[in-house]
Amino acid sequence: MLRARKLLLSAGIVAGIAGFAAAARPLRVNGSTTVNPVVTEAAEALRAERGMVIHVDTQGGSSGGIAALGDGRAEVAMISRPLDADDRTHYPKIHFQAVQIGADAVALVVSRDVWEGGVRALSKEQVRGLYEGRIKSWREVGGPDRRVVFFNKEPGRGTWEVFAQWAYGDAKKAPLVNLPEIGANEEGRNKVASMPGAITQLSSSWADGQKTFALAIRRDDGRTVRPDLAAVRDGSYPLARPLSVVTDGAPRDEAKILIDFLLGPRGQALVKKHGYLSLGEKGAGR
Amino acid sequence: MRRWTDRAVWLACALCAAVVAALLAGIAGALLWRGLPVLGLGFLIHPSSEAGAAGGVRDEIAGTLLLIATALAVAVPLATGIALVQAEYLRNPRARRRLLVALYTANALPSILFGIAGMIVFSRFFGWGKSWLAGGVLLGLMILPTLSVALIERLRSLPPRYREAAAALGLSRAQTIWSVLLPQSLGGLLSGALLGLARAAGETAPILFAAAVFSGAGFPAGFRDSPVAALPYHIFVLAQDSFDPAVQAHLWGAACVLVGLVLGLSLLALPTRLRAHEEAWHA
Amino acid sequence: MKRRWEVTALLSWGFSALTAAVFLGMLALFAVESLPVWRQAGLGFLTGTSWFFRARQFGVLPMVYGTAAVSAVALLGAAPLGIGAAIFTAEMLPRRWRLAAKTAVELLAGVPSVVYGLLGVLLLRDAVLRLLARWEPLSGDTLLTGGLLLAVMVLPTIMSLADDALTGVPAPQRLAARSLGLTRAESIFKVALPQALPGLASAVLLGLGRALGETIAVFLVIGRQDNQWPEHLLSLRPLAGAGQTLTSKLGGSETFLAFGDRLHWAAITGVALVLYGGIALVSLIGARLSPLGGRRA
Repeated sequence: MLRARKLLLSAGIVAGIAGFAAAARPLRVNGSTTVNPVVTEAAEALRAERGMVIHVDTQGGSSGGIAALGDGRAEVAMISRPLDADDRTHYPKIHFQAVQIGADAVALVVSRDVWEGGVRALSKEQVRGLYEGRIKSWREVGGPDRRVVFFNKEPGRGTWEVFAQWAYGDAKKAPLVNLPEIGANEEGRNKVASMPGAITQLSSSWADGQKTFALAIRRDDGRTVRPDLAAVRDGSYPLARPLSVVTDGAPRDEAKILIDFLLGPRGQALVKKHGYLSLGEKGAGR
Repeated sequence: MRRWTDRAVWLACALCAAVVAALLAGIAGALLWRGLPVLGLGFLIHPSSEAGAAGGVRDEIAGTLLLIATALAVAVPLATGIALVQAEYLRNPRARRRLLVALYTANALPSILFGIAGMIVFSRFFGWGKSWLAGGVLLGLMILPTLSVALIERLRSLPPRYREAAAALGLSRAQTIWSVLLPQSLGGLLSGALLGLARAAGETAPILFAAAVFSGAGFPAGFRDSPVAALPYHIFVLAQDSFDPAVQAHLWGAACVLVGLVLGLSLLALPTRLRAHEEAWHA
Repeated sequence: MKRRWEVTALLSWGFSALTAAVFLGMLALFAVESLPVWRQAGLGFLTGTSWFFRARQFGVLPMVYGTAAVSAVALLGAAPLGIGAAIFTAEMLPRRWRLAAKTAVELLAGVPSVVYGLLGVLLLRDAVLRLLARWEPLSGDTLLTGGLLLAVMVLPTIMSLADDALTGVPAPQRLAARSLGLTRAESIFKVALPQALPGLASAVLLGLGRALGETIAVFLVIGRQDNQWPEHLLSLRPLAGAGQTLTSKLGGSETFLAFGDRLHWAAITGVALVLYGGIALVSLIGARLSPLGGRRA
């Protein structure tokens, strides 16, 4: 008797769970912490106005987003670097399609003492020296006699990939280094702000000009270019990068609604609000 | 001389206690000082907006409550079963001890391991994506040893006269268990459960990979791809990733709410725990 | 009547077996998932000192070192302080105050680790930076920072359990000691502490277990620098540098990157396997050393 009742009960539970499982699938977005604030606010608007179910997460940065899309754990990836051949060879079955929603610059950001000590621009060779630990004091690049503390953005983050691409021509050729690593953007800003002699790779819009300062790049042709939006627009700043959302094949359904919103006037206003270059302002930027 | 040593020892110990008290006060002060500006009813009933810079933590609270309720539903039957086996069914003292050792070992397992295992099982094998149910099950397994040990201790400390009376009435073992032992040790189960829940509510690592997302998870409609927002995860993400200074205040507010929730659960468990203390004292 | 007995016993045994299967299954899961990395690196996975996932090099030794170092700092800080404070509450405070103190300490033990992490980022990081200024740390995120934060986190656990162990010493023995003319300090050192020793040891071991496995708080203040294998094992210098623990590696973004990559994922689950094995070993040894937590088991 008792057993029969239990059986019935468990059958009921299973049926209930199966019914639950049939509910509509949400739109899952994952990836870059640089793109995240824009997409999160867009998703908030779409949720409120159209009742859409959109989950936004930022685990593992750009490559984490690509991996999630490739493994079927997300429908939309946010990336703060161009798609590369590696992504495609890793996930041959996925037709990655990136839609650019804005642009910004990866800057080399230093702490106040370095900035005030006179370091305002670096050449590619100097940056390599700092990254590889050959340059140990800021005096070697015209700054104060203070030790260099390089906080490396985790490999896999869009910021790091763009940096390595520029400094070594190919992220795969970047030397293996032993540096303290940072993940998300605020973590980097925070650490540079509180550490004398610090430098890191960071989205230029996160450098506040109070405690963290974005350096200019001295290009091979001798021109010195600040990482501001104007230089991103005209393509003169070498570490400019697209901010994109990626889908498997052409965006459909909810993903298309989200992407259309991001490309529309309100989405673009959000891009601007968070300090990035919106598409309308973009000229020849990469 | 002996009096001086006595004094010195007293002083040293008092100093240790003072350091602990200072830590407690410092932590409470730091939290409240930073969190109070945003705390208020509105913070509890509004959803988070502008990527954490505005609004409140409604969904995060709801998600955390859902997670710990699920954890409880998973852990209570399992823990009861284990406790009954340890305290009632096992006759061999060595086997009893082994089971207890196993429970202590399971209790020491780091929470991150549940997260990794959950990612493999729920995300890959079951194809659930992130799911509140996965998170609840993982948290339930995590608090299972705590709950079992609390119940075992309670069962063991029941005066023998209960069992004797039950035997004298001719009750079967199952009847003894259901009508005497379990009702009498409800307090142990309750305080164990509350402490376990307090721990589960504050854990980030097990839900990091299997259950929580930063934004957009309302109340789940199913369990496949039905993540939740959760207070500890919200704090963890914002702690690393908040550009806006406005986020800072909200971050600390969320921390206050989480600590409040956890302390509330522990305080609820207090009366039964204190009673256990008193009994131990008088025994 | 008979049936009901059977159902209860069956469920109890069944649930216990299920739980055992889950916990052992976790171990098996990590073992199976990590197979590719053992095939690639063999025992070198355990003894290797470099971890460069882009170059397919996986060695966990520096993380084992990091875990051991932060836990050692945590225990050296928390054990004397916690036991000292427990002596105060157990032996010197009036009973009513003792309960209040114990309540407060248990509340402290309940503060979630992410909140400790937040406090560590906010307060401890800069303090350690100033403290270590002479040794020129690369940042305030060091093994020492992680260890000190852990010390604060395990302190309440150790103190509360040590207090239990001390109050478990029968009162008549104490009275006898005092009536023999021993001072309070002498009765503590000659009577209470020796008797409570197993309980104190298990309090410290439980603290150690928590320190070894803590993830989120350590993650936020450790600096997450791979390959920090010290030149001299007992040198203190590495404490002033950043590092990586087994747990901070698992909690980091590499876990997400690795998920779709067989070998990299195997390396991550290999770290999980090492962590599981190590902690199980420590707790089993702990259980052998002490009569199960000095608790009335």
